[in-house]
Amino acid sequence: MTSFKILSGLALFCAMTGTAFAHGPADSVAMSPPDAPFQAVSALVPLPDFLPGMGQLFVDPATLPAGPFMAYDHDGALVSTIYMLPLSQLTPDQGFDDLTTSGALVDHVDVVYNAGHPGVEEPHIHVILWHVSPADEERVAQ
Amino acid sequence: MNITRRHLIGLGGGAAALLTMPAIIRAAEPFDIVMQGGKNGGHVWFDPIGLHIQPGDSVRWINMDKGNSHTATAYHPSLFDHPRRMPRNTKPWDSDYLLPGESFVFTFSKPGIYDYYCIPHEAAGMVGRIVVGSARNADWLRSGTGDKGVPEAALNMFPGIDAILGMGRVSIDGTETQQGGAAHAHS
Ligand SMILES: [Cu+2]
Repeated sequence: MTSFKILSGLALFCAMTGTAFAHGPADSVAMSPPDAPFQAVSALVPLPDFLPGMGQLFVDPATLPAGPFMAYDHDGALVSTIYMLPLSQLTPDQGFDDLTTSGALVDHVDVVYNAGHPGVEEPHIHVILWHVSPADEERVAQ
Repeated sequence: MNITRRHLIGLGGGAAALLTMPAIIRAAEPFDIVMQGGKNGGHVWFDPIGLHIQPGDSVRWINMDKGNSHTATAYHPSLFDHPRRMPRNTKPWDSDYLLPGESFVFTFSKPGIYDYYCIPHEAAGMVGRIVVGSARNADWLRSGTGDKGVPEAALNMFPGIDAILGMGRVSIDGTETQQGGAAHAHS
């Protein structure tokens, strides 16, 4: 009975707010800025606050270099969860296990090479879990 | 410089006189080297990657890459434990991180060959070379002592001295077709 009340309450909340997520992101990271231990990447290393093509990035410094990095659009909405995987650590004896997620539904995934930047200062792979459609990537283009 | 300028104005020339004096223009205007990156961060480079200047000339590095930060850092043991790839007993430089739109100026006084790199992008081959005056003071180049610990991708990118002296400036094709291979020059 109690759980039914909670579920119906959640359904009512989703209907009221128009939330379209089958699985929404955790409340702590749904909007910019996410809760601690996430910090703005631009506060940790010398990078612009908003990176064209990615958005406004936050990361828990303890998880560097892999992340997850939470990326937000200009309205503060979560658009993607990004992992940054150094090529030097992708070896027969190394890898990345049990990386956490934002909990948000994944629409599609990009895997791209990056030459490096402050914070992850060597060539690495960006694995980008997009929570918006390919067309909506436009929201973080500039 | 101030004395020269005052002297010119004293002669009644002012700005117009400055514009007709190539030697003054050269001293006043730094040579620009742009820090650039491809749209998705896959390519990063200095343009020009090779530059020939004269003692007393200045170079201005400008970050034109909207999505990344870059440095122009001399190869010198006093900076981040790198080998020396510049003349002995000469002051090295480090721009520190330049955010998009920021710039850094350094004046070269001693002839020689100077190599430099971008701290976060050395492993991706983001390096450059400046020849000041003649190609003297290149002991490190002849002996090979400057190569120790430098990533292969960086070593492959330095343009040849002859190309720099011959063309004055050497650019690379940093666009999508260039995959960390040898720099090819165009004028
Ligand atoms: Cu760089």
